[in-house]
Amino acid sequence: MGFESDPRQPPQRERLAQRIFPGGTEPDPRFTLANERTFLAWIRTSLALLAGGIAIEAFTADLFLESVRKGIGILLLLLGMLLSGGAAMRWLKIEHSMRHKASLPLPLIVPLLAAAGALAAAVVLVFIVLP
Amino acid sequence: MESKFSGSQGGKHGDPGLQPERTTLAWGRTLLALVTVSAIYLRWLPHHGFAVVVLIAVAAGAASAIYLTQRRRYKTSSQAISCEAAAPDISGVLWTAFAAMVLGALGMSVVLLP
Repeated sequence: MGFESDPRQPPQRERLAQRIFPGGTEPDPRFTLANERTFLAWIRTSLALLAGGIAIEAFTADLFLESVRKGIGILLLLLGMLLSGGAAMRWLKIEHSMRHKASLPLPLIVPLLAAAGALAAAVVLVFIVLP
Repeated sequence: MESKFSGSQGGKHGDPGLQPERTTLAWGRTLLALVTVSAIYLRWLPHHGFAVVVLIAVAAGAASAIYLTQRRRYKTSSQAISCEAAAPDISGVLWTAFAAMVLGALGMSVVLLP
């Protein structure tokens, strides 16, 4: 019926999986899929920041000075890059923790997103308020 | 857990949490986000030329790769639920993150280069 006789002895793991996630036991497949969806949510956040960076650079030519426009654009693009890299790292760490039944790592990309998002908003606000 | 819906035949699974469907939809939303980003990059085309074509190619390539693997993804993850062991999608995750980082890096170089 498609059920393994022993859930702790799953079908042969791929070699790449064995190398990146050595040891431990198979976590609940629902958790593996949830980890994947969380990663994807971070990737979409990072893509939204990339889109925002391009939009600032491309659509605000008659609103901001060129240096400000480029500065905010670079800040958002850099944040998007860091978040997508951080999301992959976090996915790896979570999968590793789940295999070893360890507690999950703290999301360092959350304060990163909050701080850089607040900084970008503050810069835009200052330059809108200034004459 | 054993019900008439269990077993891996035809991608059926016994998970009322609908994890395979939600995961496949999450990939689908990511695909749409990639398409949106490449559409916004089009705005740069008149000013920055060829570099933008590369950017759009990266985003469209990643979106197509996701699109082409969606069927297999649903089937694999529903089988994973059925046999209680999911192989983590290492290449899918790492390639997607890599594509997003390349998009950011190329975008920054377009902004910085004269």
